[in-house]
Amino acid sequence: MRRNSLFLTVFAVPLLLTSCFTDYDVAEVAPQEFLDSESNSGQTADHSHADGADCEECAEETGHTVDAAMEADQAGGPSGHSHGSAERNHGTQWFFNQPWAAPFIWGKLLRDGIVFLVMAAGIFFATGWRRKK
Amino acid sequence: MKAVFTFALMTLRMLFRRRTLWGILLVILLALAGIASVPSFDVSNQGRFVLDFGLFGIELGALLLALGLAASLYPRDRETRTLMPLIAVPLSRGQYLMGRFLGAAIVQAAALIVTCLGLMLILILHGLHIPADLLPATLLILVEGWFLLSTVFFFSFFTSPPLNWPLTTMLFIVSQMSVAEFAGLVPSAPGLMRSLRILLPHADVFHIKDPIAHGFQIEPVYFLIAVFYGVCYSAFMLSLALAVFRSRDLK
Repeated sequence: MRRNSLFLTVFAVPLLLTSCFTDYDVAEVAPQEFLDSESNSGQTADHSHADGADCEECAEETGHTVDAAMEADQAGGPSGHSHGSAERNHGTQWFFNQPWAAPFIWGKLLRDGIVFLVMAAGIFFATGWRRKK
Repeated sequence: MKAVFTFALMTLRMLFRRRTLWGILLVILLALAGIASVPSFDVSNQGRFVLDFGLFGIELGALLLALGLAASLYPRDRETRTLMPLIAVPLSRGQYLMGRFLGAAIVQAAALIVTCLGLMLILILHGLHIPADLLPATLLILVEGWFLLSTVFFFSFFTSPPLNWPLTTMLFIVSQMSVAEFAGLVPSAPGLMRSLRILLPHADVFHIKDPIAHGFQIEPVYFLIAVFYGVCYSAFMLSLALAVFRSRDLK
């Protein structure tokens, strides 16, 4: 009986909270502006180009070309076609789909923390009360 | 509360006397030194590689420490029959759990700070840049370590240590998965899997090694939220552990 009530508390409470039905995989819950900013910065996963090919999209969006990058490589060493530190690079959508980069899920984190804290208190007092009884 | 602190201090002394702690600490430091000694072959971003893998090594170290420190605490107390006199008079079951957890958490914190200092030393010796957020990143790994510690305590009340290790490791791996990846494990029941995932922690919340290695600044408020989330989840796991412990017949 005690175990049943414990399992009910653990499983039912988060499911009763309708807001908890929305999980927070960043890629799934990201607002359109966030996704737009990703595609504008040229980091969509399908944005790729062959070695040595001109990248007009990159040239328009970020102001550089593959030719320029290759010239820089030849002149300054094997730096590759890459952006500077702390700048968004190509094919790095996974990198920015992490909680630290997505402020719109921080509220969900806070909410989940409070839900877990309330559940912890509920389980603590419920099992203690039953034991005393 | 005084009883909890006294018992935590006893736990702390006991854990420092064990060779397990020093063995795990040595393994982590050797692994960090090994990572740093991988030749760079003139690649300009060796610092990123060392930082990224170094913090990953510290995270694995947190898992090893949680398992090494706590998996055998309760089973050993029960086996040596020191548990019965402890919870018969001076301590309640809740105080026993909190004392053991607090002692192990302090030891784990000390060990992880030592590994962080070790990583800093390795970066200095190789002439690499030390990012300002290295210590906060270790703090978040520590919070993840406390969550793992509470999970180990939870499993230790109804499983043996050899079973505790794979169960906790499995939870560690599963909690790294995104919701979509987790639901993909059983494609025929996505609703059930998504509901289960709500109860599992999002370990990616504690991972800021990528942005640190690539020179991104992390908002201070994010640290606070992530620490709050981790502490709350640890409290949830400890309450579950206590519920199981309270339901155990120790005779």
